[in-house]
Amino acid sequence: MALVGFARSSIARLAVLHAGLLAVSMMAVLGGVYLGTSRLIAEEGDQLIALEAQGLSEDFRERDLDAFVTTVVDRAEDPWVRGGVYELRGPRGDFLAGNVVVLPELAVQPGGWAEFDVAVTRGDANASRRIRAKVAELGGGYRLLVGHDVQDRRTFRAVMLRSLAWAVLVTLLFGALGGWWLGRRLSRAAQAISASAGRIAAGNLGERLALTGSGDEVDALVSRFNELLGRVEQLTTTMRAVLDSTAHDLRGHLNRIRGAAQDARQTAREPAAAAAADAVLAEIDRLSETLQGLLRIALAESGTAPLDEVDLSAVAADLAEFYQPVAAPGQLSVAIDPGLSVRGHRQLLAQALSNLLDNALKYGRGTPVALRLTRAGANARLEVEDRGPGIPAEHRELATQRFRRLPGSSGLPGSGLGLSLVAAVARLHHAELLLGDAGPGLRAVLELPLAIGGSAH
Amino acid sequence: MKILLVEDDRRASDYLLKGLRELGHAVEQAFDGEAGLKAAEAGNYDVLVLDRMLPKLDGLEIVKQLRAAGSAVPILILSALDEVDERIQGLRAGGDDYLAKPYHLEELAARLDALARRQGEAGFVARLKVADLELDARARRVTRAGRKIELTAREFQLLEFLMRHAGQVVTRTMILEGVWDYHFDPKTNVIDVHISRLRQAIDKGFERQLLHTVRGAGYTLTEDP
Repeated sequence: MALVGFARSSIARLAVLHAGLLAVSMMAVLGGVYLGTSRLIAEEGDQLIALEAQGLSEDFRERDLDAFVTTVVDRAEDPWVRGGVYELRGPRGDFLAGNVVVLPELAVQPGGWAEFDVAVTRGDANASRRIRAKVAELGGGYRLLVGHDVQDRRTFRAVMLRSLAWAVLVTLLFGALGGWWLGRRLSRAAQAISASAGRIAAGNLGERLALTGSGDEVDALVSRFNELLGRVEQLTTTMRAVLDSTAHDLRGHLNRIRGAAQDARQTAREPAAAAAADAVLAEIDRLSETLQGLLRIALAESGTAPLDEVDLSAVAADLAEFYQPVAAPGQLSVAIDPGLSVRGHRQLLAQALSNLLDNALKYGRGTPVALRLTRAGANARLEVEDRGPGIPAEHRELATQRFRRLPGSSGLPGSGLGLSLVAAVARLHHAELLLGDAGPGLRAVLELPLAIGGSAH
Repeated sequence: MKILLVEDDRRASDYLLKGLRELGHAVEQAFDGEAGLKAAEAGNYDVLVLDRMLPKLDGLEIVKQLRAAGSAVPILILSALDEVDERIQGLRAGGDDYLAKPYHLEELAARLDALARRQGEAGFVARLKVADLELDARARRVTRAGRKIELTAREFQLLEFLMRHAGQVVTRTMILEGVWDYHFDPKTNVIDVHISRLRQAIDKGFERQLLHTVRGAGYTLTEDP
């Protein structure tokens, strides 16, 4: 788990990328040097062999055979002093001179090149040396093999390759370390920003990110982020103040209107006047109910509602008991796991659940309603479902918007704020209201993170 | 009942004054915090109605000063700020009840009645009696005409609440707050259903009905309606 997490982290990706790029460029540079050097050495060596073979061919043409054989014998006398090997063969393939016997086995065209190993005794040690040779056609059926010891070339190549491998390995190691360091720095900054953003989203708008003081790009980002937060806080505070004073003002007005209407109702002499006053009173009450609903949603969404540890099991059980008499016998089934506590706002949670039960009993049109509260990992899962007509998938998002009432619900009472309050309360509790198909019917699900300490009472 | 009304909104105050007088109460008015505090300290009122936000002296501040001076007069705080949490602040400061604007006159009157009556009683009474209906809060036992009545825990609480306010009108919100501690209004008429179940339990089979519905206001438990 930890490894998978690490492999997915940006630190790991950056470390691998950094090391990989460094290693590839190192391989390109050193590989180029290696190829160039070994080609140069090989070409120069071959040129020397070709030159000697050419010289000896000229000797063969200018001198008589015996003198030429003597020259070859002289040169071949001690092959490891000058590092040369020779073999001279006559027209019938007979061995005339030389210090190796390889020509009969070599399937080389005259003028061609061959490579073979020769066993050498030097001191006590037996060693095998690599020879590169050219076969020259001397004319009249005589053939001469001229070769040089190229063992050093091979050794050089091996050393080069080994160094290259080491260089790449070391580069990989340091590249990974560098990438890891860089990644960790960025990742720490990102984590700090992410943690702060989480707390700010939870309503702690006064929080600011700490600067590292290095004045680098991360610091620049952080101070920009802080500016943004300052702006958000200022806007939120202004919004809140406007909302509070507007609400206060509206309530004052409504109160006066209600007082006047009530007064009119009490002093009305004619039934028509009394009926009119009653209608006004009823409208005022609906208006204040809507205002109240909107303000509750605003309270939940502001994230400023004070949160405490709430025994959700008890809240759910109380509400189930509260609604039980409204339901037909056996209509409301309840299954509640005990002892599930969340950090939350008791009144808002109770109101949200009350809205869900209310909707299920109202829109479920007498079908069975189920209330379930279960533990789902680190969450408390609250479900309310009915077997009524449900909400078609394309309308579910609309259902949580303010004042949206779904087609077909116009005959039923409701302000169009019920589900938006539930959605707002869910967000206050870091949860989401999910509306699904109970097949048939509507299933509303809230998954709220359990309070730390889980099952406190 | 002698009521002091401290409210800076004159029109609202006048409507309230008129409404309360029609219900038979003696009402005096004050229009700012300082005048309100002075009147409350001088006069002998049965209950105070304070607006939460007042010029010169804040409503909560008046409550604190009165309580600090040892006054135990019941206080109802009226407020155009209705957040569940505002309410808690008001009660913590020493208020006895809290009502959000816009309020129904019947609601306010019922609450004032309950507040003034509570003041009259000395301490916790465990045995309550209305006609031949008796409730023992300690033994969790209810009898009517000597016959035991079985109630659920919540029905018992509801009956105890009604009996403690016997003879008074209790509104649906008073019941919601007092029995369930719910500070919101459930859309359906849940309270009515609970009341009718309780009525089944205590009144069914008896000639004299004790639990009555008061139209447009709430309920009352009394032997003489």
